[in-house]
Amino acid sequence: MNTHTTATGTPVISADAYDTGAFYADPDAIAVVVNTTAADAVALPAPDASTAELLAAAQEAGRRAVPAPLAETALVARPLLRRAGLPVPYGSLSYAIAPELTVRYAHPAASPVGSAGCLGDEDALLVSGTLRRVPWARAATTVVVLATAPSGPVLFTLTPDEAVLTPGANLAEEARDDLYLATLEIPASRVRRVSPELLDEARLRAALARSALMAGAAERCVELTVAHTTARTQFGRPLSRFQAVKQEEARLIEEAALVRTAVRAAAAPLDAGGPAAHVAVAAAKTQASASAAEIARIAHQLHGAIGITRLSPLHLATTRLWSWRDEDGDETYWALRLARSLTATTLWPTLTTTP
Amino acid sequence: MSPSPSTLSPIAFPDVALPESARRLRAEVRAFLDEERGRGTVLGRPDSWLAGWDPGFSRRLAERGWVGMALPTEYGGAGRGFLERYVVIEELLAAGAPVSAHWVSDRQAGPSVLQHGTEEQRRFFLPRIAAGQCFFSIGMSEKSSGSDLASVATRAERTADGWRLTGTKMWTGGAHVNDYAIVLARTDEAEDRHAGLSQFIVDLRAPGVRVEPIRLMSGEHRFNACHLEGVDVPDGMLLGRRGDGWKQVTGELAFERSGPERYLSTFPLLVSLLRELEQRSATSEQLARIGILTARLHSVRRLSLGVAAALDAGASPDIQAALVKDLGTRLEGTLVDTVRGVLPTPADPHATPGSHPELLAFALLHSPGYTLRGGTNEILRGIITRGLERRR
Repeated sequence: MNTHTTATGTPVISADAYDTGAFYADPDAIAVVVNTTAADAVALPAPDASTAELLAAAQEAGRRAVPAPLAETALVARPLLRRAGLPVPYGSLSYAIAPELTVRYAHPAASPVGSAGCLGDEDALLVSGTLRRVPWARAATTVVVLATAPSGPVLFTLTPDEAVLTPGANLAEEARDDLYLATLEIPASRVRRVSPELLDEARLRAALARSALMAGAAERCVELTVAHTTARTQFGRPLSRFQAVKQEEARLIEEAALVRTAVRAAAAPLDAGGPAAHVAVAAAKTQASASAAEIARIAHQLHGAIGITRLSPLHLATTRLWSWRDEDGDETYWALRLARSLTATTLWPTLTTTP
Repeated sequence: MSPSPSTLSPIAFPDVALPESARRLRAEVRAFLDEERGRGTVLGRPDSWLAGWDPGFSRRLAERGWVGMALPTEYGGAGRGFLERYVVIEELLAAGAPVSAHWVSDRQAGPSVLQHGTEEQRRFFLPRIAAGQCFFSIGMSEKSSGSDLASVATRAERTADGWRLTGTKMWTGGAHVNDYAIVLARTDEAEDRHAGLSQFIVDLRAPGVRVEPIRLMSGEHRFNACHLEGVDVPDGMLLGRRGDGWKQVTGELAFERSGPERYLSTFPLLVSLLRELEQRSATSEQLARIGILTARLHSVRRLSLGVAAALDAGASPDIQAALVKDLGTRLEGTLVDTVRGVLPTPADPHATPGSHPELLAFALLHSPGYTLRGGTNEILRGIITRGLERRR
């Protein structure tokens, strides 16, 4: 790990998987959100950063395969905590959207509203079940959970040490840990009843954060491939001079540009909320997930044999694309959400919702 | 190895925010289209910018100020921005409105005359273009000049008071119904094959112009071989500077390659599919395929808008335009394949006009052209990779 820490300052993530132990995909090589003095650090954006800035940072984290939950912290967990009116803790955060979790009120007999309308003990929860494949759970100081209580959607926080953690990983060896909660009591101070809209916003945020990471990994596939086809010589000329190579490389560049544009186009709609946010985010994640196969295929094909080894950093990008396309909703899930309400008369207005 | 700044930055697409006026404009165009649907002129047909020829519709559109709308008001235009024009044409294409009569005069001839023309040419042509009363064809390609445009063999020889043009232009869409063609011809021999070319405005009714139909495989007559058999063109019809033809032609390619006509040509067929599905209950699998297609349309539209924004800002996004054209026109074909796969329908060119089987047949018969016109996609991909490597 090449995280540089100092005692104070703005929290940033400096680790870049391309020059750290994480290059070899060691699941324990996790950079945490810490202070750094590294010049080329990917900074965890300030809390007041715009959505466009957050997406740009997430994209850069994806491009560098940063082994830490930067996107999860900045684009999902922090905004959800703020929306719910809970304090935002320092450090790496993660999230779980788990409507299937068993949630009961710990003190069902208590009055629903405490003195002066404040929430009292009555909102304390008892939660049981397993949060599956929580991103970077072992490195997070806090996990933000969205679940369904008898009263409706709730948001609460937990720390990983309150759960039984079973380590897991995705294809890129990024930590995806299961958290088993055995009738865990969550005090009311860490619980908020939230609107169904916030539950939906959580899904949108998670999907867009993942899409931004994918846009970055796609960009890295282009960079590595163009560098390789320019430098590698066969039959006396660079690979990039071969027509067959150009044809494939152009498609790779196009597909990466498509993903990046779809992600950026969702920034303003996410802030605006409503149907525009839904359309733009569903389109972005559908596109990112649907493009992943073609991007990874071409990048590997043009890299030749070296690309399928750990002698080349390409795997850092392609294994992430293969994992991330399934996380936070795959292309089928989001395509269905996008198409569900389409009719002959709403199709074009839907496509032109933004701008 | 720490990453260098993005390799993709040379082909960055700007973020787009359409002006507030665009929202109102879109609503106005939709209201106009509803009116025209009432007249039976807007039929929701695919490829309407190639095949939907209706001069009456073009003139009514012009009355609203939506033909040549980016031309300055002093020349009869509406003085609107390029992004506003984008909104109007994407609405027209999505609706499958018959826009082919004025298509070339609006997209290419108007901007070319404005940029390269003499004051006299501007005063003569631009108000007529903006009024929907002057329709143009393009006279670029030849039998031996497809993707390799610099190989044109049409010659312009100096006469006492002008030029005499001899040669044959191919694929001149609408030359049998339009008024003028912008013809690329060789005026001077030059070592550099890109030099010595010039553009002329040729009156398609002038003596010596012989228009011969080239029927499409569907049997439609859209294109022609335009034989120029010693056509006298006065000096005043040289467009731009003698010898600058190549520069002038390539300068407009970004406009030609990145617009909504590069991904919306088959869109009305998807609308037709959804209409068909409304009479059944769509399965999840059908919906998922439609959703994936819709996401791609959404994403390509954003790229296309990005090029429009760059053009509006005065940039020359040639590589980005090539990228949009390849992605968009491939998508036009994918759309046809997806529609066919989602709701298996035998394509039938003789079914009731406007019915789903007839629209499918029409889009299918046109489909090989999508990735050919406006620059063959294989050649465009070379432009994309070269652009990225050169700027590294």
